[in-house]
Amino acid sequence: MLILQLLVSGIEAGALYALTAAGFALIFGATRIFHFAHGATYALAGYAFVLATRLGWAWPAGVGLALVVAIAFGLLLEAAVYRPIQRHHGAFFTVFVAAFGVVIVVQSLIELSFGRAFIAISSPLTRAHEVLPGLYIARVFWLALATAGVVFAVLGAFLARTRAGIGLRALAENPDLLRAFGLSSRRLSALAFALGSALAVPGAVLGAMTTGLSPGVGAHVMLISLAASVMGGIGSLRGAALAGLLLGIVENLVVAGLDTQWSEAAGFVALFAFILFRPRGIFGAALVR
Amino acid sequence: MTAYLLNLAQLAAIFGLLSVSLNILIGYGGIFSVAHAVFFGLGAYAGAHVALDLFPDLLLAALASALIAGLLSAALALPALRVRGEYFVIASLGLQMLATTVFTEAQAITGGLGGLVGIPPPTLFGFTLADPLVFLFCCLAFLALALALVRQLMRGSFGRALMALRDSEMAAEALGKNVALIKTLAVVLGTAFAGIAGALFAFQEEFVNVESFTLDQSVLILAMVIIGGAGTLSGPLIGTLLLLLLPAALTFIPFIPPTDIGAVQQLIYGFAMTLLMIFRPAGLAGRAMGRR
Repeated sequence: MLILQLLVSGIEAGALYALTAAGFALIFGATRIFHFAHGATYALAGYAFVLATRLGWAWPAGVGLALVVAIAFGLLLEAAVYRPIQRHHGAFFTVFVAAFGVVIVVQSLIELSFGRAFIAISSPLTRAHEVLPGLYIARVFWLALATAGVVFAVLGAFLARTRAGIGLRALAENPDLLRAFGLSSRRLSALAFALGSALAVPGAVLGAMTTGLSPGVGAHVMLISLAASVMGGIGSLRGAALAGLLLGIVENLVVAGLDTQWSEAAGFVALFAFILFRPRGIFGAALVR
Repeated sequence: MTAYLLNLAQLAAIFGLLSVSLNILIGYGGIFSVAHAVFFGLGAYAGAHVALDLFPDLLLAALASALIAGLLSAALALPALRVRGEYFVIASLGLQMLATTVFTEAQAITGGLGGLVGIPPPTLFGFTLADPLVFLFCCLAFLALALALVRQLMRGSFGRALMALRDSEMAAEALGKNVALIKTLAVVLGTAFAGIAGALFAFQEEFVNVESFTLDQSVLILAMVIIGGAGTLSGPLIGTLLLLLLPAALTFIPFIPPTDIGAVQQLIYGFAMTLLMIFRPAGLAGRAMGRR
């Protein structure tokens, strides 16, 4: 039963990783910006939800606040950090260091205002029920699955059918042609940042209830998103989502054989394997340069 | 007070060596590693074991540390350098996370979270270097050696080839440069010096544990190089002094509670990194124009 139990928590974590990683992949796919501060978005959204709960707000208001904070932060970074850098030189490492600086700033601001300790929100959703003998499932598991399912369905429909969604995919494929058609690549990349940042919110809110938050959570989420994006094929939404789900499952299944400290490391072993043997990722969209 | 200042000066020399060594990778080679603390750590553990299990000879410990850090980095760099810049950064991030776990778990070698304690004071040619001032001069000597070597190398054919492939890998390859070999040599050289810095650090602290070799430390070293100016001789030293003196200076500001100093320091250098990348990507000592 242990394996089944670990599989359940793996799927729960993986569904949330999938959403967060898809946000990162959406931003990278559309704008070609390696958004290293995506983990900071996650952390900010999570702590915004914690703040709302402490103020006694109802959960929809808390989720709303987390969404507003995440989207505002994504848009701010795009306008104030990434765009000025890309206008001048846009060397990959310049973007990376600038984003890393932002991650550090956010982490220390959270430390200063919420303290360094782990914070978790207790909720009746996380109370586990015995479904089969020895197998406990909390309602948050179904909630995570349903959220991931609905969000991916809506996102898929949005990208496939709406003008803005088609614009985003066009931006990913050929920004010059897009501009020739009279569409604004600036507005579309802002849209990509808003959408991508919003995708970090479900993971942050549900993560605040299940695994809890700490100021350093952003770094972990950033690594998971990066790993999932590489393993899925950089810029591929489907790939990132699938790899995120797999990473969540691997991280949890490893616990069956090894100490819990190795669970994060297992994800990175998988990442190395992909970087060395299949850098194009599961869905093979090669990084065009 | 003198002891405090000497301690700070020793740390400055050690971290100066560390950032000079990372600068070989980042500044001259364009190899963006976020795992430098791993090799610093390997050197520290190696140096500590030489001192604890054999005898605490400074040169022997430094040699062992440089060998272990350099050889392991060569083994890791050979496959990892085949991939492009983005992937290398991610791979090094992954290596850093993996190494933190290994350092924590391999208790037989690293002592785990408890670390290795009671490292004896170093000896040199049979003399014990108990005086902190003498040890400071030893650290400075290693730093001067590294600086002289970097200066000399970067003027010669190896340095020119390294910088050429930083600026355009394809052009360097077209001119017949062995890209993989040059890059690997740069990595080995940089990490070997990081290993020596680790050995010095082990003697200086008389204690090593995994806390000093985490991602935060890698980012701190990275920030020293970037803020000072990657690819310049003086830049890493300027960055090291600024970032080491920052926490010391913050302790003198009365309205910051001591427990928050770490966070305030991080806040400041995080901001500095982001703002520099937007307005002066070549760093404080770099030329005003971007490197590329």
